[in-house]
Amino acid sequence: MKTEPLLRVDSISKRFGGNQAVDHVSFEVPQGIILGLIGPNGSGKTTVLNMLSGELFPDEGSTYLEGRSITRLSPSQLAHLGVIRMFQMTRVFIRLSAFDNLLISGRALGLSAAEAETRAQSLVKELTLEQVQFLDAGQLSGGQKKLLEFGMCFMCPPKIALLDEPFAAVHPVMRETMAEFIRTRNQNGQTFLLVSHDMPIVKSLCHESICMNTGRIISQGSTRLVLEDPNVIEAYLGGDHV
Amino acid sequence: MSQMENLWSRKLSRDLKCLFILCALMCLVPLFDLSPYTLGILIIGFYFALIALAWNLLAGFTGQFSMAPAAFAMIGGYITALLSYHLSVSLWIGIPAAVFGSALLGFLLGATVLRLKGPYLSLTTLAFAEIARVFIGNSHEFTRGDQGLNLPTLMESRIAYYYFFLLLVVLVGWLIFLLMRSKYGGYLLAIRDDAEAAESRGIPVVRFKLLAFTISSAICGFAGCMYGTFSQLVSPEMGLIQQTGLIISMVVIGGIGSLTGPVLGALLVYLSSEWLRDVGNIQLIVFAMLVIIFARFFRTGLWGICLSLYARLKPVKNN
Repeated sequence: MKTEPLLRVDSISKRFGGNQAVDHVSFEVPQGIILGLIGPNGSGKTTVLNMLSGELFPDEGSTYLEGRSITRLSPSQLAHLGVIRMFQMTRVFIRLSAFDNLLISGRALGLSAAEAETRAQSLVKELTLEQVQFLDAGQLSGGQKKLLEFGMCFMCPPKIALLDEPFAAVHPVMRETMAEFIRTRNQNGQTFLLVSHDMPIVKSLCHESICMNTGRIISQGSTRLVLEDPNVIEAYLGGDHV
Repeated sequence: MSQMENLWSRKLSRDLKCLFILCALMCLVPLFDLSPYTLGILIIGFYFALIALAWNLLAGFTGQFSMAPAAFAMIGGYITALLSYHLSVSLWIGIPAAVFGSALLGFLLGATVLRLKGPYLSLTTLAFAEIARVFIGNSHEFTRGDQGLNLPTLMESRIAYYYFFLLLVVLVGWLIFLLMRSKYGGYLLAIRDDAEAAESRGIPVVRFKLLAFTISSAICGFAGCMYGTFSQLVSPEMGLIQQTGLIISMVVIGGIGSLTGPVLGALLVYLSSEWLRDVGNIQLIVFAMLVIIFARFFRTGLWGICLSLYARLKPVKNN
């Protein structure tokens, strides 16, 4: 008997006016893997993530978490079910301290005050945010904000973390901190869906990858094979490089 | 949340202490001037302070710009007055009815409009406020229209009213403090900063906006009915859009997003408006200009200026 994957995406589509942003995309995310979602700009990656995190509802198709339909659930309902999202454009609560950002994220998902505080302290240390933890989040640098939002996603370990360009515009040292964090969590069974343009990171982190172009999946499988796929190279670099 | 680590909670506690100090100073005013005129002006200032605190809960702490605070005050006043006028219901039932009725109406309006964002929320609440005022003003048989309705008084002594209203400001400030210090207050602040991010962190945004809107409406309704018992008259003028403009200017000038700022702003703006009455009806022009100046250059208002001055002076004092 086939076991149900953690997340199943069944032929979802999304159209914005005349633009077919996502066109009948289907894939599965098994428990415990890091799945890369790559593709050139405008290929529909973020729209797929928006549909998985409840920011958008698909025009067609369905999404399932552990066999249960989550297609029309709100972002907060999905967060409570363990689907947590990190945005491409950093979104933190700018007039609250970095530490309060973490506390609120934990409390919103049902942690007690003491639990939230313990986890926030541990995340601050792990993500090297000690120096800035009591500054308003709006005063942090772009990279620190990214790290903070990244940490907010893990206040309550999710079933799946949907990370949209977590490494974009991040200092290499911070990038390595985040990559190490993902590796360690993954070794403990945490599942990730990672959207990134950073191919070396995708190669080093993702067990499997999906490449999208013009709203469709053009290649999927092990990351090495996907990155070597001529269709993928053509989509990224143009036909002459194949 | 931990009192040690939660910075917001610490800031809020300091803010509440300052509000208490301000109110303690206001306790001393009758020692210097007991004239009914001065007390009356200050009592109305406290009435506005209550509404300013309620509007600040929405705009300053939750980021929802309602244009109906004065309308809810009018509605609260009318609920008590109508019950008294038509059914001879005592104030002891009429006052809770005003709080409950305003909260219910706020809940129903909020459930309809709080999915709207930005200017649409302001526009729909403005439309509601005008509809409510015109409806009350035109329902002559039921509300006596523009003549207004009389209300019995709670106490005869003006000085007693003064301290009663002052106590209400302290109590409402303290209740808002308790709400904002709790995890629910944290959610409201998160919604203020970024509603979509708050939703994706697991905060049911519409539910908490609705909570803030309902509480704010209940406070406005309560303030309106208390004002009615003081002036012994409620009229559609209580819900004029100019009144909402005055409340917004009180919060912006005093300091939006704090507990002390709205109360300070309400007292200063209302007292100034009374002083400016002698030089013609130019209050609203002056306040509109002040709002523009504060919104452009001093977003934290007078209270923020006081805090930054204190922060600058503090190290000098220590040295």
